[in-house]
Amino acid sequence: MSLVNITGLHKHYGPNHVLKGVDLTVRQGDVVTLIGRSGSGKSTLLRTINGLESFDQGSITLAGQTIGSRDAKALQQLRLQVGMVFQQFNLFPHLTVGENIMMSPRVVKGESPHILREEAHALLAKVGLADKFDAWPDQLSGGQQQRVAIARALAMKPQVLLCDEITSALDPELVNEVLAVVRQLAQEGMTLIMVTHEMRFARDVSNHVVFMHQGKIHEAGHPADLFSRPQTPELQNFVSAVM
Amino acid sequence: MSYQFDFLAVAREAPELAAGLARTVELTAVACIAGLLIGIVGAVCRAWQLRPFNTLFAVYVEMFRNTPFLVQLFFLFFGLPTLGIDIAPDSAAMLAMVINLGAYAVEIIRSGIEATPKGQIEAAQALALKRWQIFLHVVLRPALLRVWPAMTSQVVIVMLGSAVCAQISTEELSYAASLIQSRNFRAFETYFVTAGLYLALALLLRQTLLRGGGRLLKRGRP
Ligand SMILES: Nc1ncnc2c1ncn2[C@@H]1O[C@H](COP(=O)(O)OP(=O)(O)OP(=O)(O)O)[C@@H](O)[C@H]1O
Ligand SMILES: [Mg+2]
Repeated sequence: MSLVNITGLHKHYGPNHVLKGVDLTVRQGDVVTLIGRSGSGKSTLLRTINGLESFDQGSITLAGQTIGSRDAKALQQLRLQVGMVFQQFNLFPHLTVGENIMMSPRVVKGESPHILREEAHALLAKVGLADKFDAWPDQLSGGQQQRVAIARALAMKPQVLLCDEITSALDPELVNEVLAVVRQLAQEGMTLIMVTHEMRFARDVSNHVVFMHQGKIHEAGHPADLFSRPQTPELQNFVSAVM
Repeated sequence: MSYQFDFLAVAREAPELAAGLARTVELTAVACIAGLLIGIVGAVCRAWQLRPFNTLFAVYVEMFRNTPFLVQLFFLFFGLPTLGIDIAPDSAAMLAMVINLGAYAVEIIRSGIEATPKGQIEAAQALALKRWQIFLHVVLRPALLRVWPAMTSQVVIVMLGSAVCAQISTEELSYAASLIQSRNFRAFETYFVTAGLYLALALLLRQTLLRGGGRLLKRGRP
């Protein structure tokens, strides 16, 4: 069944029309990758899904619930279901790794510290950082920080995880350790919507690839078809440029 | 020059000096804590543009950063009784210092809040924190840490400025000094020692605040 349903989404930045009627359906367990040139609206689309960006027209529903674009309470509800990992990690520098992971469930959901601690340890083990519970973010490499950021997002038990170029700020040798975690999440059935420039990874992991061009979904489909038989000249150009 | 220095004449007044010093420290401590609280509240109102408080705080800040401390003090002590509000010297001094430091603290802390990287807020929003939760758990501590050296300097400035409270006979350190030199006629020695005490207090206060505050705000982070 469909988990995220986006229809007729429009978004302007001043005179700049950046999303021009986007329709996208994401089912439970889907791994959707957004690709496209810089400025095509990938990040903007991703960020409307958890309300970091408002939109002007159209609708987004999550698990059947319609998300108004400005109601604070609805946003809150939405964000409880949707996690996000950012390019720049954005760990909280004044909290230890463990605290980074436990803070939101404690503050937002009021879960008990005892349970949270266990869950945080389990999440850290899952992302391969079992021994870093008491470390500070700035003591970690970029790849480690990003894995903590993933664990932090998972601690809220989201239904969907958004990832916006989460390996773009990493040194090349650190990219794989982060991708491995995402791959594992995908295999476990986590619903993922991601923007990435790692085309090979996108082809391996996703079951739906969306090519964005000038604020619209220009072409979409299963990665096997999309990458080997691109239909439009824009996607053909893009694919030959990046692969 | 045939003047015979006599520092013993000042040493004999040590209890008087100590009492003055204690009052100065006390005034500074209260000003520091209350000023910090005013600063945090005011900074949030300004940074979030909470109407009408942001305007009220803006007026407050401009009023007290652009008038002399002495005039603020005199206004409280001599001016307010005209309106039927009687105020003791100590209360007037304390209030003046709190209000004065608070005005600077609002601007200092606001700059710390506004320097919060956008990504920090977005990460917290994505984790479903509400606005005030974001402020409390994500913004505040790093913001205070960022501006702590500036805040410390301002506390030291206010501590030194408290010397003028002697003008309304608050019995702080400079009041003690003026009392002592009027008794022993040893102005040079008395003010020399007093200046030394202010210097020591200022250095100690700065170090204590920087170290202690830093440690408190960092909680063991390297
Ligand atoms: N905060 C903003 N204010 C104004 N314009 C913006 C803002 N964010 C993005 N834009 C504009 O919206 C358009 C789409 O940007 P977006 O970041 O979604 O692209 P993208 O596909 O993610 O690109 P990239 O691959 O470079 O990350 C661009 O023209 C960009 O300049
Ligand atoms: Mg982008």
